[in-house]
Formats: sequence, C-alpha cells, structure tokens
Amino acid sequence: MPRSRPCFPSPHPVRRSPALRSPVHPFRLHSGNMFFHIVLERNMQLHPRHFGRDLREKLVSKLMKDVEGTCSGRHGFVVAITGIENVGKGLIRDGTGFVTFPVKYQCVVFRPFKGEILEAVVTMVNKMGFFAEAGPVQIFVSNHLIPDDMEFQTGDMPNYTTSDGSVKIQKDSEVRLKIIGTRVDATEIFCIGTIKDDFLGVISDPGTTS
Amino acid sequence: MTHLWRTPVPWLGRKISKLKLYAVISLNPHLASILCSSFLKQKKMSDKGGKGGKSALKSPASKGKDDSAKLKGRKVQFDSEDMFDEKFETNGNGKSNGKGDTPFSKGKGGKGDKGGSAKKEPPPLLLNVEQELPENAKCLMNCEAAQILQGIQDHMVLLSKDPTIKIPSSFDRALQYASTGSFYTNPQSVRQVLESLKKQDVSDGEICVIANTGIESSKKVFALMPSLKAKKTNVKESLTTALTELKKLKTVTESTIVLD
Repeated sequence: MPRSRPCFPSPHPVRRSPALRSPVHPFRLHSGNMFFHIVLERNMQLHPRHFGRDLREKLVSKLMKDVEGTCSGRHGFVVAITGIENVGKGLIRDGTGFVTFPVKYQCVVFRPFKGEILEAVVTMVNKMGFFAEAGPVQIFVSNHLIPDDMEFQTGDMPNYTTSDGSVKIQKDSEVRLKIIGTRVDATEIFCIGTIKDDFLGVISDPGTTS
Repeated sequence: MTHLWRTPVPWLGRKISKLKLYAVISLNPHLASILCSSFLKQKKMSDKGGKGGKSALKSPASKGKDDSAKLKGRKVQFDSEDMFDEKFETNGNGKSNGKGDTPFSKGKGGKGDKGGSAKKEPPPLLLNVEQELPENAKCLMNCEAAQILQGIQDHMVLLSKDPTIKIPSSFDRALQYASTGSFYTNPQSVRQVLESLKKQDVSDGEICVIANTGIESSKKVFALMPSLKAKKTNVKESLTTALTELKKLKTVTESTIVLD
C-alpha cells in the first residue's frame, strides 16, 4: 500500500474537544500567528539498497522520518509534511554509493514569535515559576515575571495565588502570556514568557470549567 | 578595549603589531585585565581633564606586580600619546588635546563607545513575522491547520501499521492546539469571506489574526492590530461586512466563556 500523504486532504469535520478558551479581548495588542504553510528544500541521501521501483516512496518516507518533529530557529516546528513538490535528479557522491536527491516539500510549521501573545495551559508549578504548553512549544514563566501580588503556595497542588485568593494559577489553568524570548534546539523550542503586563494572566481555572 | 588592538602598543621602545600583542595576551591572561583596568582609568582621567594620564596608566601596572614580574625584561608601557595616535595623526604631534572625547568614545571602538555612552533602553518588542519567515510562507488560520492535521491523522491510522513510522509528539500537541483554538468548522468559507479584505491591502497575517481571535467588533480588531488601524478609513466598511459574515459561520460550543 503506498504510504504517501495527500496534499491538502479533502475537508474532514474537525473533531475537537470542547473549547476552553474565552473570546479574545481587545488587549491582545501583539497577537500573531503560529501556523504556517511553507515550501522547504532538503538534500536527501539514499543508500543504493533502496534503489528500485519504490525509490520515490522510500525517499518520501525517509524525508518524513528525518524532518517531521524537528525544529529550527527560522521555521519553528515542522509539524507535518503535506506534499512533495519536486524531487530533483540524484547525484552520486564520489567514493560512496550514496545518491543525493534535492527534494522540495510542503509542510505545516508551528513557530512562536517574540512579542506574541498567546494562550497556554499550565503543566507544572514550582517556586521558580511555572511551565505552560502551547501546542508543541514549552513556555516557562519565571516568578520574577509573575505579578508581585501572586505568591507561591506549596501543597499537593502547588499554585500561585493572589493575597485575596481570587486568582489562582495551578496545573491545567489556562493563562494568557506574552513570549519574550525563545531558544531552539534540534527537537524543541523553548520560550520564556511573562504575565506581568496588562491584561495577561489567568483565563480559566480548571476547577471552574469542570 | 577593541580600540587598543587597532593602535600599536609601544613595547620596549618600539611598536609591536596586533598579532604579537595577541600572542602575549594569550600567554598572560592577567595582562588582559591589566590592560582593561588601565584603559578604564585612562578614560576616567581623560574625562576629568586628560592630564596625568600616564601616571594613571602606570599605577595598574604597578599593582599587578606578579604579572609584571613574569614579564621580566619587558616593560609594558602605555603611552597615552600613542593610544590617541589615530585621532591626533593629523595634528602632527603626539600630544593629547586634553579634551574629554577620545577615539575610544567614538563609534569605531564599539565597546569603548558602549561603555561611555548612556545606556539606551531596549527597543520595544515588536512582532516581525514577515521579516523572519521565508517569502513563500503562507499564514494558516487555526481552523485551516486543524483541518489539514486532522486529515493527516486519519491517514496515520493506516500508516501506523508500519512500525518504522513514528508519529512525533509535536504533531498531536499541534493538532490539539489548533483544534481548541479555532472557532470555525469550515475554513474554506472563512477564507472566502476574508479574502475580500485583501483588496483593501489587508495582509495575510492580519486576516489570520481576525479568524483566530474570533472578534466580532471592528473596534476591537483595530485595537488588536495597530497596523490595521492605519488603514482604517479604507478597511472599516468591508471589515464590518466580513465580521458579520464570520459571525454566522462561528460555531458556538458549550464551554465558551464570556468575560466582561
């Protein structure tokens, strides 16, 4: 069975879990986008054992294995390859039997930007701050970038709470934060965020939405 | 500090080249700190009046006696006149003008200039999507991304039979993020409605923000995107129409929370 991805597959009804997000308020002055559809090029090396009638399929599956899930500073996460635009002529490398094919492919990438305001779900809270996730991106908000009136509370469910107890940040809380820095390595993008600016902070508490 | 490398330093009565100075510094790392401190002191002295620079320069050398002992037979002499060679070449003499501004305070030195000038506030954090991505990048609305990824996931049920193909965890997280972040189930209709705004020079990114945020009021759109506010007079009417159409397409879910 050919294992290839369709380019822009036919519309499927989007099965989604109940949205937890709230309507946006007009204070998201620097909102941006995260998903992009771009064309990238890569030189794929193939061992001679793969040569044959399934050469193209083997090239595509190798591309998927090599590229999907990786990330770069420029493009962000390569979430999924949607299609192959062009496979160029192979070039035999001197001294080895490997052949290099230039492959142009379309893919969906996910990239955070500095200055972007987005909503994330808290995954862990500790005295240094809290970790949140927005898609595949991990964001850390230091306690220095949490409003001063929120203090860390230890316990079974560590959290940051205001003095009057009205606002609480704990695991599974939704927060609106602003990205102030990013760090990229081969498999991950890690961001630093803040909730200290105006109109940033908790959107919903997991206790109230259940 | 970088400016020091440009001008040759007198060494045993003769000038030495930059490379030799590098070699000496690499052999004696302490010399780098002595050079820095002497330069800073010289700068302070020149700010005050410029005179007595020589004595200020010599004092750190005397402090670093251990290092100077190692450099026996080699006197590191920083002649202030030579340090200002670059500036005073045209004067024809080696004497300092005694003024506060030195070559180190000029932009060339970089570090020296940064050290001397007042600290500038960092520029505000601006979102520069277009400049950071390649030209062929197309902004995707969350609903579009959710549709594409959902389709791929359905095909992955077949692909998963092959043990060599592993689904990256970033895929599932991205799909979940896109799904929970979208208000619409029919991205094609949304795109069709918002395409009309392109005639008014609304960019692709701005269109996607409108779709992703699910805003219903044009006032809020202009507040959200200052770049769109600049085109307000041209865009307002068509934007209001588009938002009205989008409202009809929006899916109302049980857990939509309305905050006042």
